[in-house]
Amino acid sequence: MKKLLSLFLVLALLLSLSAVSFAGEKKVLRVASWDTLTGGYLAATETAFEEAFPDVDLQYVDIASQDYFQKATTILAGGDNVDVIDIKELSDVHNWVEQGYVESLDPYVEKDQYNLGNYLGLENNYRADGALYGLPYRSDFWVLFYNKTLFDAAGVDYPTNDMTWEEYAALAEKMTQGDGIDKIYGSHYHTWLSAAVCWAVTDGKYTLADGHYEPLKYYYDLVLGLEDKGVVQEYSELRAANLHYSGVFYQGKTAMMPMGYWFAATLIDEKAKGTFDFDWSFVSVPHHPDIAAGSSFGSITGSAMNKNANDKDLAWQFISWRASEAGALAIAKVGTRPGYVSESVAQTMAAAEGFPKDDNAKAALVPTAMSLEWPIGEHVNAIKTIVNEEHTLIMTREVSVEEGIEAMNARVAEVIGQ
Amino acid sequence: MNPKEDNAVSTATPQAMIKKKGSLQRRNTLIAYSFLAPNFLGFLIFTMLPVLFSIVLSFLNWNGGTIDRISWAGLDNFKLIFKDFNFTRSDMGITLKNTVLFTLATVPLTIACSLGLAMILNKAVKGAKFFRTAFFFPYVASVVAICVCWNFLLMKFGPVNQALSYFGINISKSWTQSRDHAMLAIIIVSVWRHAGYYMVMYLAGLQGVPGELYEAATVDGANAWQKFWRITFPLLSSTTFFVSIMLTISCFKIYDVVAIMTEGGPGRTTKMLVSYIYDLSFQQIKYGVASAVAMVLFVIVLLITVVQFRAEKKWVNY
Repeated sequence: MKKLLSLFLVLALLLSLSAVSFAGEKKVLRVASWDTLTGGYLAATETAFEEAFPDVDLQYVDIASQDYFQKATTILAGGDNVDVIDIKELSDVHNWVEQGYVESLDPYVEKDQYNLGNYLGLENNYRADGALYGLPYRSDFWVLFYNKTLFDAAGVDYPTNDMTWEEYAALAEKMTQGDGIDKIYGSHYHTWLSAAVCWAVTDGKYTLADGHYEPLKYYYDLVLGLEDKGVVQEYSELRAANLHYSGVFYQGKTAMMPMGYWFAATLIDEKAKGTFDFDWSFVSVPHHPDIAAGSSFGSITGSAMNKNANDKDLAWQFISWRASEAGALAIAKVGTRPGYVSESVAQTMAAAEGFPKDDNAKAALVPTAMSLEWPIGEHVNAIKTIVNEEHTLIMTREVSVEEGIEAMNARVAEVIGQ
Repeated sequence: MNPKEDNAVSTATPQAMIKKKGSLQRRNTLIAYSFLAPNFLGFLIFTMLPVLFSIVLSFLNWNGGTIDRISWAGLDNFKLIFKDFNFTRSDMGITLKNTVLFTLATVPLTIACSLGLAMILNKAVKGAKFFRTAFFFPYVASVVAICVCWNFLLMKFGPVNQALSYFGINISKSWTQSRDHAMLAIIIVSVWRHAGYYMVMYLAGLQGVPGELYEAATVDGANAWQKFWRITFPLLSSTTFFVSIMLTISCFKIYDVVAIMTEGGPGRTTKMLVSYIYDLSFQQIKYGVASAVAMVLFVIVLLITVVQFRAEKKWVNY
C-alpha cells in the first residue's frame, strides 16, 4: 500500500515537472486584471493575442473587481513582477505614477513610432507631467438601454437618440404599468452617484471636482420626482435590498435603464445563455436642453507597465497590440467597446452576434461628445467620498436637495482649502 | 543500579552538578522556545511589526509608494485629524461619536441579553441543549449572510416594520436607510450576533456558583430578585468583567456589520472609526493620517481597559 502511494506521489511529481517544462518553452506574460474568469473580452483578448504571438503564454492574475485598486496597489507595493497591470479607474494610474510603480511608455512609443491618433485624445488622460503611462483598450460611455418587447406590447414608440430628460421622464411615466409584485417600472436607476446625477458633466465643462454642486440639482429633482410618481424604484429600497441592476433588467421589471455601455456585452452573453428572452436595444442617453444631443460621459480602461515587470519588451508588445486595431477587433467581436476607434471597429461591433439590429443603436455607438465621469486631481479621492456620502442623504430624503448640495459645497471647500 | 553510573554521580563535584542543572534548564528553555517559535514568528511578522510600523507611520508623511517617499511629519497628522474638531462636522468627531455611542449601547445590552439567556438555559429547561446551540448559532454563521438577512427584515415593508405597525409604531423607511434607525439596526444586529457567544461564558460562570448558597437564601426567605442581586450577580462578577472588556474592545473595532449593512450611511450616520481609517488609508492613500487615527483608537481602547482594570478591584468579587 505504502509502495503504491509513494509510486503515485513520484508519478504526480514527474507529471507536474513535465508540465512546468512544457509551459517553460513559451514566454510567460502575466497580466493583472479583474473578472478574468468570467470570459468576455478578456478571454477573447487572450485567444487572439496567443494566436498572433504563438510563442507567448498569456496568464491573467485575477484581482477582485470590488477592491481592485487597493489590491492591485498592494501587489505593486510588494514588488511583484507581474508584467502588465490594468487600469480600472483613471485615478488608479495617477496614484501609481505618484508612487513610482509604473513605467513610462514614451520610449516604447518613440521606438516603434506607435500611432496614438485613434483614441479621440482620451489617451492624454493617462499622461502625468506630459509622460504617457497607459494605453486605453476599452472605452465605455453611458447609454440608455430599453426592453423592446415591453415597448412593443404597450404599443409605445421606442426611445430615440435625441430625447431631452423631460421627454424621457414622460416616456418613462407612460411605460409604468401594474401594481405590487407585477409592477413594471418605466425606468431604473442603479444606486450609483453616476446613474443619478453625473449627467451634469456631459456639457464637457463642468466636473465633479469643481467644488460647487448646483448643476446636480436639475438631475436630483428629476430622479426624486420620478420616485415620487412611482415611475422608478426607490433608492433607499434598492440600497437596503442591495439589488443589482442586471437582475431588474433581465426580469423585465423596467422598460428603460441608463447604464454604462459595458452592459451590452453582458446582455449579449446572458441572452445567448437563455437568462432572458426579450429583445433589447439602446439609444443615446437623454440630454439637458442646453447640452447637445448624444453627449454622454464615461470612462476609459487601459493597461500600464509595471516598473518591476519581468519582461518589459513583452509587456509593451501586449499593451501596444491590445490598444491597436487588431486588439480592438478582438474585443469588439464580443460586444465590448474598444478604446481604439475606427470604421472597421464600429462595423465589427454592430456585426457582433446578438447586437441590436436597429439603426439608432448603431448611431448611438459613437457619442457626439464624451466627458469623463471624474477628472484627475490631487483631492479627487477625498471629494468622491464626500459627494457620495451626501448623495446617500439626498437620495434617502434625509435632507433636501438644497441642503445636500450646500453640504457638498461646504465640505469639499474644506478639502480643497487644506 | 549500574555501578558505573553510580560512580559517576558520586564523583561529580557540586560545581559540575550546578553546571549540569544549568544546562538542563537551558535545554528546557530552548525546547520551550522552539515550540513557541512557529507561533511567535507569525505573530512577530504579521502582528507585532505592522503594529510598531503603524505607530511610527503616524508621525510620518506617506502617501504610498517606495520607502524613499516617506518624510517626517511630526504631529502634523494628529493636527490634521483634530483640525476643526467637533461632533457634527469633522470626520474624526463624527466617527468617534458614532463609535462611542455604539459601544455604550451595545456593551450593556449584550451583557444583559447573554446573562439573561444563560440564567434561563442554566435551569433544567426542556430542550436546553437545543436552545444553547440555537443561540450560539449567529456567532458561527457568516456575518455577510446574517447582515443581508437582517437588511431584508428591516426593510420598508419588511416583517419588523409590519409587526411594529400592529403596536401603533409606524416606520415608513428601511431602517438602514434612515438617520433615525440606522444606528439602532447596527446595534441590534451586533447584540443579537454576540449574545450567544457570551451566553456560553456566563453558563460556564454559573456552573461555579454553589447551590448551597441558594438553599441557604431560600431558608432565609429571600425572593428570586434578591437571590440574583445578592448571590448570582456578585459571584459572576469576574465573568462580567472579562466579558465587558472583550465586548468593549470588539465594539471599538466594529467594521464588518457596518460595511455590509449601511456602508456608514446614510451620509455619515453609522460611519465608525475603523471605516474612517479604511477610507483614509485605502481610498485616499494617506497612510500617515490613517495611522494617526488608528493610534487615537488604540489609546482610547487602552485607557478604557486600564480604567476597567482599576475599577475591577472595587466591584469584582471572587
